[in-house]
Amino acid sequence: MSEGITRREAMGHAARGLAAIGLGVTAFHLIRKADGQIVWQLDHSRCVNSRLGAVGVNTCNLCTSECVVAQSAVRAVNDFSKCGRCYICPAYYNVTSAVDESGLPSEKLCPRDAITRTMIGDADPEDPANNFYEYVIDETKCDGCGKCVMGCKEPAGLGSIRLAVRHDLCVDCNRCAIAMACPDDAFTQASVAEAFERLETKGGT
Amino acid sequence: MKYRLIRTISGRGQEPDQFTETLRGIAVDSDGRVFAVGDSAVRVFQADGRLLHTWSTSSPGYCIAIASNGHVYVGLAGQIEIYEADGTPITAWRDEQHLGLVTAIGFANTSVLAADANARCIRRLGPNGKLLNTIGDDNRRSGFLIPNGVIDFAVDRTGTIHAANPGCHRVERFAIDGTRLGHFGRFDGQDPSGFSGCCNPTNVAVDDRGRIFVTEKAGPRAKVYDSDGALLSVVADSQFELACKNMDLAVDSKGQVYVADTVKLQILVFAPQAEPAAAGNTAAPSEGDESR
Amino acid sequence: MIAARRFTALVITILLATTLWASSAFGQPAPYDRPVDAAPQAKDIGGGYTTPDVQKPLPRSYWLEALDVALLATAMILVSWLVLKKRNRTWLVLVTIGCLGYFGFYREGCVCPIGSIQNVVVALTDPEYSIPILVTALFFLPLFMALFVGRAFCGGVCPLGAIQELVLLKPVRVPRRLDRTLGLLKYVYLGLAIWYAAQPIADRDFVICRFDPFVSIFRRTGFAHMIGIGIGLLALSMFVGRPYCRYLCPYGGLLSWCTRFANRGVTITPDKEIDCGLCADACPYGAIEQNRAVRRSCLYCARCYASCPRTGPSMPTVRGKAVAASDGGRS
Repeated sequence: MSEGITRREAMGHAARGLAAIGLGVTAFHLIRKADGQIVWQLDHSRCVNSRLGAVGVNTCNLCTSECVVAQSAVRAVNDFSKCGRCYICPAYYNVTSAVDESGLPSEKLCPRDAITRTMIGDADPEDPANNFYEYVIDETKCDGCGKCVMGCKEPAGLGSIRLAVRHDLCVDCNRCAIAMACPDDAFTQASVAEAFERLETKGGT
Repeated sequence: MKYRLIRTISGRGQEPDQFTETLRGIAVDSDGRVFAVGDSAVRVFQADGRLLHTWSTSSPGYCIAIASNGHVYVGLAGQIEIYEADGTPITAWRDEQHLGLVTAIGFANTSVLAADANARCIRRLGPNGKLLNTIGDDNRRSGFLIPNGVIDFAVDRTGTIHAANPGCHRVERFAIDGTRLGHFGRFDGQDPSGFSGCCNPTNVAVDDRGRIFVTEKAGPRAKVYDSDGALLSVVADSQFELACKNMDLAVDSKGQVYVADTVKLQILVFAPQAEPAAAGNTAAPSEGDESR
Repeated sequence: MIAARRFTALVITILLATTLWASSAFGQPAPYDRPVDAAPQAKDIGGGYTTPDVQKPLPRSYWLEALDVALLATAMILVSWLVLKKRNRTWLVLVTIGCLGYFGFYREGCVCPIGSIQNVVVALTDPEYSIPILVTALFFLPLFMALFVGRAFCGGVCPLGAIQELVLLKPVRVPRRLDRTLGLLKYVYLGLAIWYAAQPIADRDFVICRFDPFVSIFRRTGFAHMIGIGIGLLALSMFVGRPYCRYLCPYGGLLSWCTRFANRGVTITPDKEIDCGLCADACPYGAIEQNRAVRRSCLYCARCYASCPRTGPSMPTVRGKAVAASDGGRS
C-alpha cells in the first residue's frame, strides 16, 4: 500500500491524523468530566405555588405559559402518600364558591377538569363526609397551571400536590424558558443521579 | 356581639418570655394566668402579659390543661406530664400505645381525657392514668378525620365532650363513656357560620355558659357558637398570620378569648365589646350581630 | 479503507464508553419539610386500598438517548455510503425524509450537534458544568466524519438541512462573490455563539438555540417571531439552496474546516467525465467549481450524480485519490 503514496497524500494523512488526534483529545477531556444525563428539575421547596409560608399570593403559572413544549412539560403530580384524602379537597374544589344542594362547593378549581375524585376504602354510604377520597390528576389534561398546587398548600391542605417536570416531555433545552422566567429560581439543572424530584419513595414519611 | 384585640402576649424570639419555634397549646386558670406550651417549655404569664415563670418539658409539648386542683397537665408524644402550678414535676403517664401524640387534655369528674392524634381518638384515663375507655373510634373511619394532624376537644361543665372533627366540618359531642350525643357544623366557604376549606374547625374551647369557641385555618379565624350550634360572632379573622394552622384557644371567666398565633408565636387576647357584664345566657344571641 | 476501519473502531469505542457511563440509581430526597405528617395511610383507609405510586415522569431512558446517537452515526454512514458508493439520490432522499421525521419532528430538533457547540464551549470554560457524554458524542461524531468523508451529516441527517433540502424547488444561482461573502456570516455566528456560551453563568446565553429558525416548526409552537423567521427562511430555501446551512450554520463552519483534511468525498471523476457541466448546473449550492466538487461547501445532496449522464450503479467505483489531491490544492 505504502509504495504508491505521494508526498502530498502523506501530508494529507498526517494533517488528518493530527486533526483527528486533536478532536479525540478534546473529546476525551470532555468525556472524563462528563455526566450521564442532565435534566431540568423543579425544586418545589422554592416554587411559590408550593413553598411553605408563601400564603395569600397569586398562583404563578409561568410553567404553563413559558415552556416551549406545546402543552407544558411541567405537570402537577399528587404524592398520594402525603395526600389527606379530604372530603372537600381545596385543590379539587373552589372552596370559596357557593355551596350547592349536596353541601359541596359548586365550582371546581381545575380549569381543564384534569382531577378526578373517587371514594376509597371501606365506604360509609350514609355519611359521605366521613369518608376518604382519592384525587388523581390526569397527566394528559394537566398543563401545570399550578392552581391545585396552590390550593393544596399548607395550611389549606397538606401540600401533597406539587409541580414536577415531565422528563418524558421535557426537551432539555440548554436555555430553559421557564428557568429564565421563574422568579424563585426553582428551576435547576441536575444530573439524573442527583435529581431529587421524582425520587420520593412510595409511602415515604 | 363584637370582640376587640386588647393585648398580645409573648412572640417569636430568644427572650425568656418568647418562643423560638412552636406555640402549640394555651390554657387559662381561674385567676386569669395564662399557661402556654411551645418548643419544649411551659411559660406562665400574668393576665397583663408579664412572664411569671417558665419550666422545661422533656420533649416538645403539644397541649396544656389545668385541672381544678391547680395541677398542670402537658401533652407530649407518648406521654402526659403533670406539674404543680409552679412547675414542680409530680408524675408522668407514659403509654406509647394509647397516648401516641397527646394534642388535647380535658377533665370530667375524676377522669382525665386525652386526645391521641396518632390513633385519631380520645382516651379516658382514671385519676392515676389508667385507661378506662376510648371515645370516638367507633365510626366507619375508626376515628376522627384530622388532616391537620391534631385532635382538639373541650369539656363543658356538664361533662359533655365537644370535639372537632375537621375532615367532616363538624363539632361532635360525646358523653365520657363514648356515647355520641350529636354534632353541629357544615361546610360553607362563603357563609361564616359554616366551616371553610378542607378541614375545619381545628381547635375548640368551651366557656362556663356552654358557648363553643372554635378556630379555623386557611383563612385563620376564631368564631363563637351557642350551645345549639348557631353562630354568635366571628371573634377575629384578620389579626392572624395567614399561614396559621391549629391555633389553640382558651376562654377565661370574664369571657376573654385567648388565641395562639402559630406563626408569630403570640397569644392574642380578645375581649367582648359593649356587652353587659351581667347579661344572662340568652342575651348574647339576641344581639344578632353575626356579620363581621 | 484503513481510514474507514479506523473510523468505525472509533465510533464503537465512543459508544462503548458512553454506555459504560450509564447513570446510577437516584438518591436524594426532596428538600421539602412538612410540619405535620397527617395523611391517612392504607391501613386507615381499609377496604383493600393500597397507596398508588407517585406519578413519576421519568426522563427518556438512557438507552433511547444512546440510540439517538447511534442512529445519528448510522445515518451518517448510510448517507456517505449511498452518496459515495451508490451515488443514489433517490435513496438519499428517503433517508433525508426519515431523518427529518425522527430528529426533526419526533425528537423536536433537540438532539442537535449544532447546539452542542455551546455545551462543549461551556464544558471547556466552566469547570462546574458537566456535559452529558451523549452530547459530547453528538458534537464530535459529525466532525470526525467530516475529517474523513466530508459533510455527510449535512447530507440528510441534520433535520435543519433536511427541511430546507426537501422544499428546494427552483434553485437560483447565487453570484460567487456574494456566496463567499455571505458564507463568512457563519463564522461570525460561530464566534458569537462561543462568546456568549463562554460567559460566566449569570450572563451565559445559548444563542444558537435561541435563534434556531426551524425548531419552532418541528415543535409546532414557539415565539411568533421565530416561527416567522422559520417560515421566511423556508420560503427562501425554495429558491436559494439551503440558505441556513450555507450562510448561517455555525456547525457548518466547523464541518467545512474539517473537510479540508478529508481524503474522500463527492468527486466528479476526471477520467470518466465528458465536460458537459450538467453536474455544475444541477448543484444548488455552488459547490462545483470548474467541474470539480468543492468539499467544504458540498452538502452531499447527490444531485450531481443524479444529473450525470454517465453515473449509475453500474459505474465502477472510483477512487478519489487524484481528485482529492487536486481539490485539496485548490482550497
